[in-house]
Amino acid sequence: MVEDLLVYLRLAAAAVRANARRPAFLAARTLASGSIAAVEVAGMVLLLDRFGTVGGWRAAEVVLLAGLAFASQGLALTLGTRLEADNLSLLVRKGTFDQVLTRPVSPLGWIVSSYVDTRYLGRLLAGVGAVVWAGARAGVEWTPGRVGLAALAVTSAAAIVFGVLLLSAAFTFVTVQGSEAGNVLVYGGAYLTSYPMQIYGSALRLLFVWVVPLGLAIYVPALGVLGRHGPPGLPASLAWLTAPAAAAFLAAGGLAWRGGVRHYVGAGS
Amino acid sequence: MPAMIEVEGLRRRYRTRRGPVEAVAGIDLRVEAGEFVGYAGPNGAGKSTTVKIMSGILLPSAGRVVVDGLVPYQERKRLARRIGVVFGQRSQLWWDLPLSDSFDLVRYLYRMPAATWRRRLDELAGLLDLGPLLPQPVRTLSLGQRMRAELAAAVLPAPRVLFLDEPTIGLDIEAKAAVRGFLRHLNAADRTTIILTTHDLDDITELCDRLIIIDHGQIVYDGTIDELHTAYGSTRMLVVDLADPAATLTTGPDWAGAQVVRAEGHRRWIRFAREGISAAQLVALVLADHQVLDLSIVEPDIEDVIRRIYRGETRPPGTVPPP
Repeated sequence: MVEDLLVYLRLAAAAVRANARRPAFLAARTLASGSIAAVEVAGMVLLLDRFGTVGGWRAAEVVLLAGLAFASQGLALTLGTRLEADNLSLLVRKGTFDQVLTRPVSPLGWIVSSYVDTRYLGRLLAGVGAVVWAGARAGVEWTPGRVGLAALAVTSAAAIVFGVLLLSAAFTFVTVQGSEAGNVLVYGGAYLTSYPMQIYGSALRLLFVWVVPLGLAIYVPALGVLGRHGPPGLPASLAWLTAPAAAAFLAAGGLAWRGGVRHYVGAGS
Repeated sequence: MPAMIEVEGLRRRYRTRRGPVEAVAGIDLRVEAGEFVGYAGPNGAGKSTTVKIMSGILLPSAGRVVVDGLVPYQERKRLARRIGVVFGQRSQLWWDLPLSDSFDLVRYLYRMPAATWRRRLDELAGLLDLGPLLPQPVRTLSLGQRMRAELAAAVLPAPRVLFLDEPTIGLDIEAKAAVRGFLRHLNAADRTTIILTTHDLDDITELCDRLIIIDHGQIVYDGTIDELHTAYGSTRMLVVDLADPAATLTTGPDWAGAQVVRAEGHRRWIRFAREGISAAQLVALVLADHQVLDLSIVEPDIEDVIRRIYRGETRPPGTVPPP
């Protein structure tokens, strides 16, 4: 187990070294990925400053949500960008996945570690920057408890986005062509969870709190960070549920991935 | 004793838009440890499907496969430690990193003890002349250099079975010779069982003790190359230059069916079957009646035999024609 982990760390280190062999290229890509997130946040601030509040939340408070969402998305994509439909279907069509299956390691471990994409750290850092800026503007006092809640939100939401990537990957193994369905949740999910849950209708809220629990993972801990109580049925005290819900969703993604690989081995290319 | 590779009643169907296709339609074979087997067949015959099943990448639809005591698709990871797989057209190396990094990673992936790894790498680097390439990024290597590196990476963990898919494709003569020389050494010195899939029949005639030909998902030939010629009635050619250009070679019953098929100036071409008369006997017959300036013997062209098999023009006894 520990030995396996060391192998994956070495593979990831090799991927980072390979990226770093063209430092200017890497820097430009990281900067671009961070800038996109920063521009999105800036747009949000400009818009909200004009209209005052959204669902009773001030601009800075909304930016805190967006920062958490972007940070978690950046973390998940750093590890899982190869699971995205287009990328994975390319690995399958080029026969690279066959080669992965001839290695004495888990194919998921191989794909995650060998294709670590550091450019998405730009998005992670931009998200963290947004959280820090928003916290200062909203007058958040960063007690260890609140830092913990923010970290819980980022890691739980990242696990859920990764779970979505696994589900999308499983789908890609079956269709080979890949589909946009996963992207809708990965990118659309981050966008939707950038706003307070109470502005959404019950169906969308149900989806993002209890089915793909991104809302639960970001919104509820954010309530705690901002010292808010939350709407009826979604109180700040639900934060304890975040980690188990994320773990359950990730596990479901893991099962789907295994099913996908089994289908691939059964069906062939 | 169980064989290194045992395949019984192997079948593999694919679902396609035009209905199911049977890529492998009932294959039985045994490969003993240390054999060097050439695996040939036209495109789409089922070669790579079989190799994928034997290496655990694909599940069979029916039949039994055991490689080195393991069922590939059930114990894929364990088997992966004991086999090497080289696809000629796809790299297993870390493209942007120095070649030495790839060998480092192989060491950890296959959990090789440091001393074993060092000794083996030094040996392989010597055999394949990789020393000067180690610091170079893989993407800067020429095709021939890269293929030598691919082979080294695949056999670094000392696999018991090596599956090769077109390892000499696109290589120049010198690079082909280097690859073939290395494979011969590996088979002889390490007793590595090698399954070589190739369209290059020179690879097969130079390297393999045994040739398996597959067509339409079934084995149409399994034996040595010499036996192939006998089974398919291959003929050899004696080419003689006679001192007298006007001389006529008269064939008699003792010529055992050997025939003069062409005459041009001093030169005569005599075709003869392996099982009818030996080259020495035939030469003696010609020398008895004629003054000969020069002679040579042309071995049968294996490519020609195999082309005839692919076309279905000829089949050895006991094999089933394709549906």
